[in-house]
Amino acid sequence: MSGKEIVVYGISHHRAPVSVRERLAAEPERVGEELRGLLDGDALSEGVLVSTCNRVELIATTADPLRAREHVLSRFNLRTAPERVDDFVYEHRGREAVRHLFRVASGLDSMVLGEPQILGQIKAAFSVASQTGAVGPLLGRCFDRSFGVAKRVRTETEIAAGNVSVSSIACELAGQIFGDLLERKVLLIGAGKMSETAARSLTARGATLTVVNRSLERAEELAKACGGVPRPLEQLATELAAADVVISSTAKQGFIVTYELMLGVVKMRKWRQLFIIDIAVPRDVDPRVESLRNVFLYDMDDLKRVSQANLAARERAAVSAHAIVDEEVVKYDAWLQTLQLTPTIVALRERVRDTVLREKQKALPKLGELSATQERALDAMCESIVNQLLHAPLTELKQDGQGDGSPKLVEAVRRLFRLEIHTPAPAAETEAGLASAEVPPRRPS
Amino acid sequence: MNAVTIVFASTALLYAAACSGFFVHLSRGNAVAGMWASRALGAAIAAHAGYLGCDYLLLGNTPMGDIYDSLAVLSLMIALAFLITMRRHRLTVLGAFITPVTLLMLLASGLRGSVPPVPEGVRSALLPLHVAVNLLGIAAFALAFAAAVAYVIQEQLLRRKHVIGVFQRLPALDVLDSIGLKSVTAGFPLFTVGLVTGTFWAARGGVGLSAGQSFGLVAWLFFGSVLLARVAAGWRGRRAAIGTMLGFLFLLAAIGGYLLRDLHLG
Repeated sequence: MSGKEIVVYGISHHRAPVSVRERLAAEPERVGEELRGLLDGDALSEGVLVSTCNRVELIATTADPLRAREHVLSRFNLRTAPERVDDFVYEHRGREAVRHLFRVASGLDSMVLGEPQILGQIKAAFSVASQTGAVGPLLGRCFDRSFGVAKRVRTETEIAAGNVSVSSIACELAGQIFGDLLERKVLLIGAGKMSETAARSLTARGATLTVVNRSLERAEELAKACGGVPRPLEQLATELAAADVVISSTAKQGFIVTYELMLGVVKMRKWRQLFIIDIAVPRDVDPRVESLRNVFLYDMDDLKRVSQANLAARERAAVSAHAIVDEEVVKYDAWLQTLQLTPTIVALRERVRDTVLREKQKALPKLGELSATQERALDAMCESIVNQLLHAPLTELKQDGQGDGSPKLVEAVRRLFRLEIHTPAPAAETEAGLASAEVPPRRPS
Repeated sequence: MNAVTIVFASTALLYAAACSGFFVHLSRGNAVAGMWASRALGAAIAAHAGYLGCDYLLLGNTPMGDIYDSLAVLSLMIALAFLITMRRHRLTVLGAFITPVTLLMLLASGLRGSVPPVPEGVRSALLPLHVAVNLLGIAAFALAFAAAVAYVIQEQLLRRKHVIGVFQRLPALDVLDSIGLKSVTAGFPLFTVGLVTGTFWAARGGVGLSAGQSFGLVAWLFFGSVLLARVAAGWRGRRAAIGTMLGFLFLLAAIGGYLLRDLHLG
């Protein structure tokens, strides 16, 4: 057995219930330890453990996929006991494993299509594995490519162009109105989880925060939590006049920001743009406010429509993203094939040369004493036989490796000449050693 | 076909290529198209400079010698100004609005058939100054125009709540507004000097106001009021953008007036 291939075993939000995922997920600081446990024994050689709340998967290399699967499943089941992962686990091997990794890294397999966090999580997992010493050249190259693919997908498609969560859409729109949010004034009317999230992401981009609430006490509480200034409800008009972004989410019936109030406010504001996000149901802001100059009003329904449109756009973009992934898998495959080719060529050349030289040595005693010229002629003849014999097969082999099909000739040559290509110890993996590691396992005939 | 014509045609083709690339970039969000459009624009600018050089060396047309040469220099300056601004902000998409203007001006500059240059008698030391400041001013206004068009589109999309696609690709409203303000602020004094020298020169030559000059004056009034309203009354956004657009249209009409006058002379 000489070949190693990339395998993936994992569970994800697609099939596994959260009760199983949460048991299997490793805490960030314990991922390295967990990975060492998984790589214990000789079933797996390299490995990277990706553990997020939506997926836990091991990307590894193995020479014996069947044994590796058994080993990984038993480790997984140990963690999730009494539940078992068997029914939820997916498994990919070889080219499909590479494709899977490329897709996951690009966010194409995520719960929210195209979300960018997963790439960071994979990079973190890869760096933990590298520090643990669990990454060899085979996985190293594969992950390196996956980062490149993710970047390509992100720049060449609009998979992550628009946000899908209400608070990030609000934040993105504010950015598209004001550009730089530094020193922009955000006014929070009322307190709610969603408005708090939106306000936090705005202040994270440099905006300042003011909180107005019916109960000043609650306003103070929230202002303290988010780093803002509390103001009583009576100062609403002044605050509206000063604000750039308003997020309103009171639980009150009827409008808090009335048309009449805003008429006066707009006069005070002159021509400055005002972006109002009304996420309260029932609404806080009179919809007629929208008609005022340089006032932009978005309510919950508007934001939800944007979210749906963005999701639809992502799904359209996913089609071209998948095409990019497929293209990159083909490229990766071609690289693997050239890796298989080099050791085969080396081995074939050695086999032929050894045979010729051995026969020459056998024949030498029978030839008697040779002059220097005769000896040179004999050497030249041997060399020439090796080269001429190998010229056609080597040319064919090289061409075979460049096509898109599987390298049939490589396998054929190995069998015809009974070439043994040894896997060196993992610690001493050189470029040639790495190459030989990729030879698929030969079936016993 | 002589060498100069060939260089001229390739310059125009490169601008056209850049223009279509920018449109694809804006409408489809294709980053690769934007990148190629920027490269095509760079190549167009190089070819354009080459064209001006050939035109001078082979045909002896001094840059800024007459309205046609000036137009050719003007469109080069607009393209160059845009290329520089583009690199500083996320403005590649604005190419869709500015490359058509440069292409149009370049083509108009090629209208020169057998038009005689400005008669020797009317030439004066003021002429190069007059033309140079005018060109710089108009280049700044062209940038303001592109920002204003983008602003109006962007604002409409935001009001109608079509905030995906083109909306995400264009710069933020406030960025466009401030580009508009800065460009008009930069262009106005230059254009004012141009207008004053022009009037002085025309008065000395004893020529009355031509159609071109009157349009130029209207354009100056427009830009002046937009600037005044911005500074004094705190005007922003849509209204300032529309004022800027109208001002630039009058400016184009002024250039058109000059072209027609000179053609008529020929």
